[in-house]
Amino acid sequence: MQRRSFLSWGAAGLAALTSAVGLSLGAVVRYLTPSVFYEPPQSFKIGNPADFSFGPPTFLAEEKIFVFRDREKGFAVASAVCTHLGCTVGYFQSDERFHCPCHGSVFTAEGAVQHGPAPRPLDWFEVTLARDGQLRVDKDHTVPASYRLMV
Amino acid sequence: MNPIRDAWQSIFRRDPLSTDKGKSEFVFLNVWLHIHPAKVKKDNLKVKHTFYLGFITFFLFLILVTSGVALMFYYRPHPPQAYQDMKDLQFVVYLGSFLRNMHRWSAHGMVICVFLHMCRVFYTGSYKRPRQFNWVIGVVLFLLTLGLSFTGYLLPWDQLAFWAITVGTNIGSYAPLVGARVRELLLGGHTVAESALLRFYVLHVAVLPALVTLLTMVHFWRVRKDGGLSRPVWKLKDRQSPELVAIGGAESNAPLAAATASQDKTYGLMEVVTGKPIFETVGMDEEEDAVFSYPYAFFREGIALLATVTTVMAVSLFWQAPLEEMANPAKTPNPAKAPWYFLGLQELVSHSALLGGVIVPALAVLALIAIPYVDLNPSRRPADRKWAIRAFTVFVVVNIVLIVVGTFFRGPGWTLVAPWAHLAGAE
Repeated sequence: MQRRSFLSWGAAGLAALTSAVGLSLGAVVRYLTPSVFYEPPQSFKIGNPADFSFGPPTFLAEEKIFVFRDREKGFAVASAVCTHLGCTVGYFQSDERFHCPCHGSVFTAEGAVQHGPAPRPLDWFEVTLARDGQLRVDKDHTVPASYRLMV
Repeated sequence: MNPIRDAWQSIFRRDPLSTDKGKSEFVFLNVWLHIHPAKVKKDNLKVKHTFYLGFITFFLFLILVTSGVALMFYYRPHPPQAYQDMKDLQFVVYLGSFLRNMHRWSAHGMVICVFLHMCRVFYTGSYKRPRQFNWVIGVVLFLLTLGLSFTGYLLPWDQLAFWAITVGTNIGSYAPLVGARVRELLLGGHTVAESALLRFYVLHVAVLPALVTLLTMVHFWRVRKDGGLSRPVWKLKDRQSPELVAIGGAESNAPLAAATASQDKTYGLMEVVTGKPIFETVGMDEEEDAVFSYPYAFFREGIALLATVTTVMAVSLFWQAPLEEMANPAKTPNPAKAPWYFLGLQELVSHSALLGGVIVPALAVLALIAIPYVDLNPSRRPADRKWAIRAFTVFVVVNIVLIVVGTFFRGPGWTLVAPWAHLAGAE
């Protein structure tokens, strides 16, 4: 075998082997990535505006959100998932703060980090009025803490 | 003509054990025992040299495989059945609770013993040439042990499991670029839910045990190929280590010429190839304290096995593996803690998730792997390696302190509390 043909065949073989291994690895990662997530929808209805009282926020455990209703300003929805490591925060009326049980992060009523390791404020989700008059929350759309829905 | 003797000899075709040949053949004609050398050095068998921690770790792994397979007969990796099966194991299945306890306590024991084994290997300098790579395999086995513990932790599907895994996988998502993707792959979704349980189950019962088994084989094989167990540190006293005579060659000013090749016993390719073997050589004076593995080594290993099994069984009789209420994604227990061996990590994470959860642990693992390649001091004598010992001791103490703080000194909201607050139920 000629030196030239040995080198070119060798290079071609090596390239083929590398791409085969690379493609196989990619296929494995893709295989392990679910194409369908059987998870609750990110956008959902939470009920009629009249269902929510004024004053302290209503905690919806299933959806992990707090629904705020203010007489002047209207509706706002905050995420109950701590931005640090995903524990569920609680709202305490006594100091009007969110407290995370896992690592002691404290958030103000506006969701801003006041204390602890949380890297960013709590998320606020878009809340709109659906056609049937119910409130609709969309977790895929975050909004500024000042966002309010007037009903 | 004795058919029974013929049958016996068809299975065990060695000479009688009363002969030296029989004792040797007992080891190297047996597939399960041939990982041992036919003869071992008596001092290497001393408890104060190794504390048999490697053996104990291996025996705990055997207990874990056995009890784990037993538990699999009654476990369905899907919520809420997973939790119901735990309750069945606890109250309905014959010996179910006992087997679960054995599995749980052996798992904790294995994490502890792997760590102690690593400490022993470090303090005796046994990671040094030619054993550098076996240390690396050991570090990987340590990480796999933690992986097995972590994946097993979710399977009961109780509150403890659910929130420990929620916190644990969120720590991983702080890794730059790939973090969120890795978490999605691991959980098969975006929250700890049924696909996460199934994935952790498959990793726990198939993928990780297979990796541990394979690497354990390599680990043991390397122990043999690197010249058997390292010599006890006290054997190195007051003279140049025989290992260094053989291996340090060029740099050593020991009387290399005096120890001629013909007097050395080498474990290598010997006459087949030229060049010095990388393996340890043993001088003739060392031969004197060599004993046959049968019965000396096997007897001691048998004692270690019995002691391990007995201890695990005794602990499992008296202490119940914890099981809290069923996992409830809506309610985070306060405080929510990771498994104890990750509480040091959680303590770091409580200060900074990226630094404490990703950067520091990654650097720690890299440092562990690099130890044999960075520490080029050829001496294994403690007196010659004071700074290495000090540095490693700091590492060990910091780990223990972080875990102790995370376990006993952290209360609701991760605030500092006195350790007795947990006992008094002051929460």
